[in-house]
Amino acid sequence: MIYLSQLLGNPVLDLNGEKIGTVSDLGIATGEVFPRVTSLAFMGPGHTPFMISWRKYVDSYDEHEVHLKVVATDIRFSYLQPNEVLLARDILNKQIVDTRGMRVVRVNDLKLSDTNSTQLRLLGAEVGIRGILRSLSPGIERLALRIAHTFGKQLPEKIIAWSYMDLVERDLSDVKLSVSHKTLDDMHPADIADIIERLDPRLRGQVFAQLDDEQRAGAMAELDDDAMAAQIMGSMDEADASRILSEMDPDDAAELVSELDYDKAEKLLKLMGVNEQKAIRQLLGYREDTAGRIMTSEVVSLPEDKTVADAVERLRGLDEDFESVRYVYLTDEDEKLSGVVTLGRLIVSDPDTRLDDIATKELKTASPEDDQEDVAQDIAKYNLLAMPVVSDEGKLLGIVTVDDALDVLEEEHAEDLQIAGGASSDADGTEHAHDLVWLLRRNAWFFFWVVATAIITFAFKTDTSTFTTALLACAAMPLALVVADDSVSYVTNFFLENDPDDEDSPSTLGFTLRSIGTGLVFALICTLLVLAFVSLALPDASDAALAHALRLGFTAAAVSVLVSFALTPIYLVILRKRDERNQETSGFALAIISMTVAAVVFAIAIAVTGTTGIVLG
Amino acid sequence: MAEAKNGTKKTTKKTGRLAILAAMGPGLLTAMAGNDAGGIATYSSTGATYGYGMLWTVPLMCILLIVAQETAARMGCATGKGFAALIREQFGVRVSAIAMLALIISNFTVTLSEFAGIASGMELFGIPLQVSVPIAGIATWLLTQSGSYHRVEKILLALSCVFLTYIVSGIISNPDWGLALKDTVVPQFSSDPGYVSLLVANVGTTISPYMLFMVSSNVVEKNLKGSDIPGQRADNVSGVIAAEITTWFIILTTGTVLYPADVTVNSAADAAQALVPLAGQYASALFAAGLAGASFLAACVLPGITASAVCEAFGWERGVDRSWNEAPAYRAIITGITILSAGIVLIPNVDLFGIMMLAQVINGVLLPVLMVCMVLIASDKRVMGQYVNGHVWTVLTWFTIVVVIVLTIIMFVLQAMGL
Repeated sequence: MIYLSQLLGNPVLDLNGEKIGTVSDLGIATGEVFPRVTSLAFMGPGHTPFMISWRKYVDSYDEHEVHLKVVATDIRFSYLQPNEVLLARDILNKQIVDTRGMRVVRVNDLKLSDTNSTQLRLLGAEVGIRGILRSLSPGIERLALRIAHTFGKQLPEKIIAWSYMDLVERDLSDVKLSVSHKTLDDMHPADIADIIERLDPRLRGQVFAQLDDEQRAGAMAELDDDAMAAQIMGSMDEADASRILSEMDPDDAAELVSELDYDKAEKLLKLMGVNEQKAIRQLLGYREDTAGRIMTSEVVSLPEDKTVADAVERLRGLDEDFESVRYVYLTDEDEKLSGVVTLGRLIVSDPDTRLDDIATKELKTASPEDDQEDVAQDIAKYNLLAMPVVSDEGKLLGIVTVDDALDVLEEEHAEDLQIAGGASSDADGTEHAHDLVWLLRRNAWFFFWVVATAIITFAFKTDTSTFTTALLACAAMPLALVVADDSVSYVTNFFLENDPDDEDSPSTLGFTLRSIGTGLVFALICTLLVLAFVSLALPDASDAALAHALRLGFTAAAVSVLVSFALTPIYLVILRKRDERNQETSGFALAIISMTVAAVVFAIAIAVTGTTGIVLG
Repeated sequence: MAEAKNGTKKTTKKTGRLAILAAMGPGLLTAMAGNDAGGIATYSSTGATYGYGMLWTVPLMCILLIVAQETAARMGCATGKGFAALIREQFGVRVSAIAMLALIISNFTVTLSEFAGIASGMELFGIPLQVSVPIAGIATWLLTQSGSYHRVEKILLALSCVFLTYIVSGIISNPDWGLALKDTVVPQFSSDPGYVSLLVANVGTTISPYMLFMVSSNVVEKNLKGSDIPGQRADNVSGVIAAEITTWFIILTTGTVLYPADVTVNSAADAAQALVPLAGQYASALFAAGLAGASFLAACVLPGITASAVCEAFGWERGVDRSWNEAPAYRAIITGITILSAGIVLIPNVDLFGIMMLAQVINGVLLPVLMVCMVLIASDKRVMGQYVNGHVWTVLTWFTIVVVIVLTIIMFVLQAMGL
């Protein structure tokens, strides 16, 4: 085994043992699984680069020197062939895509086959830490190995075979690759999208340019970040960009177009074919987050008096890139949607059967103005693969497919999590909430407590006795704050579980009464318990000041609890209003507001009852 | 992502003057960020110790900074690759390891100086460093880890604009304009070891290594092309000139107010004295707010830049949207730098102002390592294509490198003899 880093810079000696240069690069023939080294590039005197055939001239080689079979004067120089790739120039230190591990990595070293055989082959690219250490110095690599060994650990090599490499910075389209070679083009569009997100913006454009239109369209639709997709689109040639849009499903294309700025979008749409353009414009006519926006107009529909044979004929004639067909829809003489036939029924039925004889007539349909979440939930509820979207007159406009429905549910789920305060509220899209951040958010009440106590006691600083009383009373504040926090969870849970349009769900008035009742009962229980505790544990006159302070504090907390629950209907209205306008609400922000209100109410209650001397008991 | 989006919107409207306006911004931001804790400490010290004696360095630094920033931006535009990636691809593992080591040390010491700046700023408000530094440390760590520091960026930047008040303060303090202008044009030398190390610190704080990386990654993120180079140039030149005018006034003000009073700047409170002509009793509050704001901003940015450059050079995953599992190196570098630098500032009886100055000296010493890489890449026609360095630019960069190396050697020699 020998590595490129060990060969580079070695002296090249001719038959007489005379040094004619130092190794600068190796060329490989690309057509094999383990490509053969075909040429040797070396730097002659005065930095003149030379290239010679490996097979003809190299006699032996090792980590120290390369011996040639002939004397310097007999060498005939060659040139780089179009199907040759230079290891040091094109691969070493460059970014490559590992098409099996589906990552973007940098090549630290290249592993070549054994030195015994005359043929030298490329085994793969080393992308792990060992390559870095070896390139620094083989001694460091050995030292690291020994240290790792003492700790009972292995430092494995990370090798990527040539057939699983895509040199993203070099266009491989001119190079002949072995059949088993897997480049980026052979990957699933979703994986290509993942890879592209990890590249620098410039390289993104270049990699995109290497893909064929179909792959580009697929990857574009799979990019999670719409802004990034729009940016790639913006940097592309306009003709190319519009071709990709035509290739994409109309609903994905519409989503992308809505991200572009107006002039650009218009230009691209104008370059597209009439039909595709019409389909996208029609979708763009619907509001965001509605069924109309996510539906696809690529759907198979036939008059209901046709036969199974007609339907099959129609399916056979479809374009290759037609949205995959799950159902055949039937229309009556007024072109209204009248029924649906599943593919399964079509296959098992006799070719002469009329379609309306095998059709299901009870259809679940959606209107284009319906909320996308409702449609997605219906698809899940009725176990559909696609739901037809019909106009007010009953005409079929398109279908919402199950894959789009899944995307919607995923999106809505993330929003719900945010309202529930479970996920990070970062608009930047960091999905993984930090443990520390999570803990801080869960225990935000503590910081409120500290700050509010500081402020309240500061207000009473002038007088020592009221100061002590206020400080003691603040011991009851956590109750007020924690309940305020919980009241928000109570609202958000209610909001997530109940849809205002659903007839079964409690009305806002019902919710108001229920929450005020809950708050009242809870406040009563707490107050009574504390009063009982005070009268039992502190009966003596000497403890009167302490008892007074505790009563003061818990009365204030009870008032605050009541207010917190009384405010819940307002939060509910806010949540629903914002949801209607498709704005995202962070549950954490609501909790902060609620706790601030609770702290203020608590402070006022202490001030009022404390100064007027009205204390229960 | 908001940034990337802005980038597209900006680059789509490339027409005449708009193109120049569109590219404006990052250069100004970078240059203003140069007036951070270390910068203020160095410049105040310069003015207080040598009066107008070092004003001549300002126009010189201005030219050198323009050369450095312009080159970094042009490399990004021409290749679409970050500075770290270019070093790796052009020079291989060994050189990148050295360059990255230099960057880590330099950025680590600068981050250290930022925490020292936060501590000394907050001390003027009466908040002890045992409170301010841990809170600042956790806050910067959280902000960098979640990538949400862009939200507070504007506020902090506004805070650091407080240093523009030096211009007003300088005018009010009634300096000897004739002498100041003469000293700006006529260089003066001194063999005082303190003078030379201040000179190195001045270079180090003006042309910080992190700036080169920041400018180039800004350009790469926005995918600016060769045609955006004129806009970039305008942005850099204007930003540098604005920053250098501020620097000139800081030295002028401290030279007018502190030098005759024989105040040696050993703490933030001493440095704040220079603002008394303008702000009177509020001088220290104004100074403290600016110092803490600018330092906090830089402390948020620096660990991220370092981690990003190192990961770029070695091909590891990076970016705020990658989790610990996906990008362990990236997150570990950020965490390590933040914890270590905040920890060192917390050591009892530490000389905060001394730390800030020392960091700039280290910066100056390590600068040549990265500048050599930069000039070699920028004058390589294979890499840069038609945007390759002109002769003047190459000569100026080599001149900077040689000057910094010579100064560094003189500094060490003088200090060795002084011992």
